This record gives sequence, C-alpha cells and structure tokens, in this order.
Amino acid sequence: MREFNVLVVDDEDEFRDVIAKSLEKRGLCVEGAENGLKALEILEHSRTDVVLLDIKMPGIDGIETLRRIRSLKPLVEVILLTGHASVDSGIEGMKLGAFDYLMKPIELDPLLEKLSDAYEKKRLQQEKIEAALMKKHMSMPI
Amino acid sequence: MERKKKYYSAITKRLLIAFFCLSILPILIFAWIMKDTVEETNIIKLRELATSTIEHRTEVISIFLNDKISLLSMMVSFYPREFFLVQQNLDNLYLAMGSRGGGDIVDLQVIDAAGVQHGYVGPYRAIVKDKKYSEAPWFQETLISGVHVSDVFTGFRNVPHFVVAVTNSLKSFVLRATINSSSFNSLLHSAQLGPHSDAFIINRAGNFQTPSLLSRTELDENEKKLISFDNKSQAVITDTDIYKTRWIGNGQWLLVLKANLADSMDFYLTLRNRVFIIVGTIILLSLSAAVTISLALARNLERADKEHAANSMQFAHVEKMATIGRLAAGIAHEINNPLQMITSQAGWISELLPDEDPAAVKNLAEYKSSIEKIRHHVKRAGTITHRLLGFSKKMTAQQDRVHINELIAETLSFVEREAENNSIAIIKNFSPDLPATMTDGPQLQQVFLNLINNALDAVGPKGMVEISTSLSADGRLVVECADNGPGIKPENLEQIFDPFFTTKDPDKGTGLGLYISYDIVKKLSGIISVENRTGGGALFRVILPIKSYGKQE
Repeated sequence: MREFNVLVVDDEDEFRDVIAKSLEKRGLCVEGAENGLKALEILEHSRTDVVLLDIKMPGIDGIETLRRIRSLKPLVEVILLTGHASVDSGIEGMKLGAFDYLMKPIELDPLLEKLSDAYEKKRLQQEKIEAALMKKHMSMPI
Repeated sequence: MERKKKYYSAITKRLLIAFFCLSILPILIFAWIMKDTVEETNIIKLRELATSTIEHRTEVISIFLNDKISLLSMMVSFYPREFFLVQQNLDNLYLAMGSRGGGDIVDLQVIDAAGVQHGYVGPYRAIVKDKKYSEAPWFQETLISGVHVSDVFTGFRNVPHFVVAVTNSLKSFVLRATINSSSFNSLLHSAQLGPHSDAFIINRAGNFQTPSLLSRTELDENEKKLISFDNKSQAVITDTDIYKTRWIGNGQWLLVLKANLADSMDFYLTLRNRVFIIVGTIILLSLSAAVTISLALARNLERADKEHAANSMQFAHVEKMATIGRLAAGIAHEINNPLQMITSQAGWISELLPDEDPAAVKNLAEYKSSIEKIRHHVKRAGTITHRLLGFSKKMTAQQDRVHINELIAETLSFVEREAENNSIAIIKNFSPDLPATMTDGPQLQQVFLNLINNALDAVGPKGMVEISTSLSADGRLVVECADNGPGIKPENLEQIFDPFFTTKDPDKGTGLGLYISYDIVKKLSGIISVENRTGGGALFRVILPIKSYGKQE
C-alpha cells in the first residue's frame, strides 16, 4: 500500500483522534479538522489526497464543505461518512463528485479499503494530468 | 357508539317527519277537502233532483186536480139546472165521465141551493138518499167560493177519497163528485227518490192525505215544522234528509218530498271509496318511499361518517408512523456516532495488540476475543439502527422495485422474536424466482405485518402460521397468510374489512388494521380476500399485479 495523505473532518475530537491513530498505524498521513472551514483552510496548503468527511456537522455541513472542496481542489477525492442512512444526502454527495459514502458505524478495514480506492483514483487522475502536462511541455518550443 | 346510534336514529326520525309533512299531510288534506266537496256536491245534486221532482209532481197533481174541477165546472156551466134533476141524465153523465175520467170519479151527487139532494149516481145511493147538506161546512163553502175540495178521507170502501164540489154561476145547485185519490199515490210513487225517501201529501192540519211511502202514520217533529215553513225555492236540509215542499191547489194540501241523503250516497260512496283507495295507496307508497329513503340516507350518512372517521384515523396513523419514523431516524443517527466511536476504539486496540509481547500480556487471547465480541455487538446494534433508519425512509410513499419474498422475509424478521417467545411456528413457503414488481414496498409491508400480527394473535401460543407466495396462472403474485387458529365466524366474514370492525378487546385493536390493509391493497390495484380453511383457521390472500415499468436493473 502506498502512503497517502488523509484529512479527517469530524466535529468529534475523539473520533478524529482514534481514526488518525489507526490510519497512521497503517502507514497513512492523517490530519484532522473539526469543521468544514478548518478543513478548507488545511486543504489550501497541504498535500491531502483523500478527505473523509462527516455529513452532519455544526457550521457548514458536509455537503456544503464538499461543494467548496470540489471547487478549491478538484483533484482531492472525498468520501462521505454519515450516521444517517439518508440515501438522498448520499446521492446528492455523489452528484457533487464524492467518491463514495459510508455509513457509521464502519470498521477500520473496510474504511481503509475505500480510502485506498479513492487514493488510487486520485493517483491515476493525477498521473494522467501530469502526463498531459508533460506532453504539453515537451511539445512547447523553448 | 350508543350516542351515535341515537344520533342516526334521530336523523331518521327527523327525515321521516319531514317526509310526512311534505308528502302525506298534503295528501290527507287533499283527501279531506275532496271528501267534503264530494259530499257537498252530492247534497246539491240531490236538492236539484228533489226540486225538479217536486215541481214536476206538483204540476201533475195540480193538473189532475184542476182537471176534475174544470170538468165539473164545465158540466154545471154547460147544462141547465133542470138537466141535473133528471136521474137519467145524471146516469149518462156519470157514465160519460167515468169513461173519460179514468174511473177516478166514484159518485156524482146533485144538491140544490137549499142543501137537499136531488140526484145521485154511485154505489151508496141508499145511504145518501134525501140527505140534507145545508148545514155542512163544505156546502157552505161551495156556495160562497164556487168550488170546494175536501181533505182525503177513507170512504166506505176503505179507499182514500176526496170530494170536489162545484156550483154554477147562479149558485142554483151544487154538483158534488167523490174522487178516488189513489191515483195520487201512483203519482207520488214515482216521486220516491230512494228506498228511504218519501213523498206524500198532508193537509194544513198535518194529516196524511196520501199514505206515506214508508208507511208512516205520523209526521216527525221536523216535518211538523215544515208545514208552517212555506218557501218555494229553499229546500230544508237536515242531517239525514232533504225536504222539499209545495203547496198544491189553493193551498190546502202540501206536497212533501223527503229525499234521504244516505240513499243517494251510493254514487258518493263509490267516489269516496275510490278517493280513499287512491289516497291510501299514495300514502302507503310515499310512506314506504319515505322510510326507505330516510333509512338509506341515514345509513349512507353513517357509512360516510364512519369512512371519514376511518380516513382521519388512517391519516392520523400515517402521521403517527411518520413521526415514529422521524424519531427512530433521529435516535438511530445519534446512536450511530457512539457506535462508531466504540468500533473505532475497539479497532484501535486490535491494531495495537499485535505490538504487545505475547509473553508479557497474560490475557492476550482474552483481549482479542473480547474485542471481537465488541465488534460483533456493535455490528448488531448497527443492524438495528440501520433498520430503524430504513423504517423511517419507508414512511414516504413511493413506487419501487419490490421482491415480494425479500419483503415478506424482512417483515417476518420484525415478528420472529415474538413468535419465538410464544412458540409459534412460522412456516415460509416461498415460491423461488418470483418476478419483482413496481409497488409501494413499505405500504405493502404494513399490510403483511398486519396480516401476520393478526395471525399470531389468532393462533396463540404453540400455534402455526404459514406464509406462502406463488405466481397465479394469469401472472399475478399471490401471497397467502394462513393460520391454524379458530378461524373467522361466518357472520363476520362480510364485515371483516369494515372500518372499526374488531373482535379483539377494545384496548387491543382499533378495528382499523384490516381496513387499512384493504385500502392499501386496493390502492396498489390488488385484491385482498379472506376465507376459512377447511382444516380450521383463517386464510388471507393478497393478489398483486406484476408491474414492470419504471427503472430497470
């Protein structure tokens, strides 16, 4: 497994901590944000690959945060996490470009799997972009 | 319930009264007026008849009387006094008059001015021979007024007679004739207007001059008054009779015509009976119509009220379920977060455990198994919260692809525990590979939940409930829910789907479950029916169409 950067956005500190600890133990770089605005702030100047985003949060909620993340960092993949089996918000999230949505409670292994899938997707996308950029640079006369 | 019954019977009563006032009362009033009118018409008719009859009879009798008088007057004017003194002439005259007068003249008598009889023709020659009449009042009157008509008397032959005497202009003699008045009787006979009607002549003293046709010998009180009442045009109407009177001749006799009202009532009675029959029929018809309509209206009202109440209850029920759904979703959501914490923390421990020195940690295996148990139970709790969330989601009506077997299996999962506790066997007899159909799954689930709950209630402990699904010959889904309970009483089969019909205790059942089920199945274009199994117990059958429109997988 490749090492990649994950940003966990959840208003519960304990959850952020335990997830961060568990994921770091599995070799991932994990940052935490307690709300959407904080998450956006962190995203501005960090190399985050995947965001694990709780839908229900005080302040701006997960969906709104997702929308802003998509405009701020279109390449960053977002996995929605919800305690609510509201398919509607899940579907809305998917429409907005979330990689997937997960329902609490979820165990570490399936969570890790989803994160890896998301990272893989992001990586492939980035490679394609880099390849395209490379071509562009190469074709450009210096 | 009792109060409601009273309310509906009050409505029925009010409707009946309204119908009565609007239809039957006018008919009765009409009948009453009709009856009076007919009665009055009858009296008028009878009076007219009496008037015309009496006029006619008066004329005839007057003519008869005048005929006799004029005949005699003619004789005395025509022949000289000497002519009558000859017996032979008198005989001839008698014979001639006899043939002309129709045998009315019984005898002829010639009396001179002094009152001495000079000649006689007739059956009583011996008795009247040489009789002197100078003092007799009738003789005096004849000489004074020229004519005398006597009262009727019964002569020697027991036949009613009356006497007409005339004198000539010189008053030198008097010709007296006895006239048989029985011809009056025949004239009056034809004046009888009915079996209880009468026609007779009386004199001023009130004595019968002709026999009463009803063989009466005396006048009654009313009739006595009539004698003094002399009005030509007016009839006297008593309760039972109409009297019409006319003076005859020079006011000596009174012709009385008594027409019995009852006699002439025949025509009126048939008319009245016809009116009564028609009115009776109309009353019966409108009464039955009124009763039918009133009852039907009240029943419709009752049913509409019931349905309205049932709909409100159903609406309230749906509201309640939606509220419960929201509540459940809220709770589930709130519980999912701690569950997530538990599973994450447990996961963290299991991440760390492999780092421990197995030798240093005495109970490593125990920790591991404990963590596994924590995970297992969190998963269990998660299943419950997810189901709760699913339940809330289902509160919104929508058409979805539904696999009937899965739906029923899920429904059964709600009640399996309860069935287990009561040692009720639930037999699933699912036909595999049933096609999915577009329908309202959650609503359908409520139907099956109702049916299964009813079945569980019916069988009681140690019973058996069998759920089977199959595909009918015409390609519809058939779900049967059978139990081996006591079954349904035949008289209840009809109304088992009625709102508020329940055989359970009042605090146990609202009587709405099957009504709501019926309503839902009907809305989903399905059929729900019930029957008793031959082996005992009830069998509910839900038949659903297979619809395949909408999204396809």
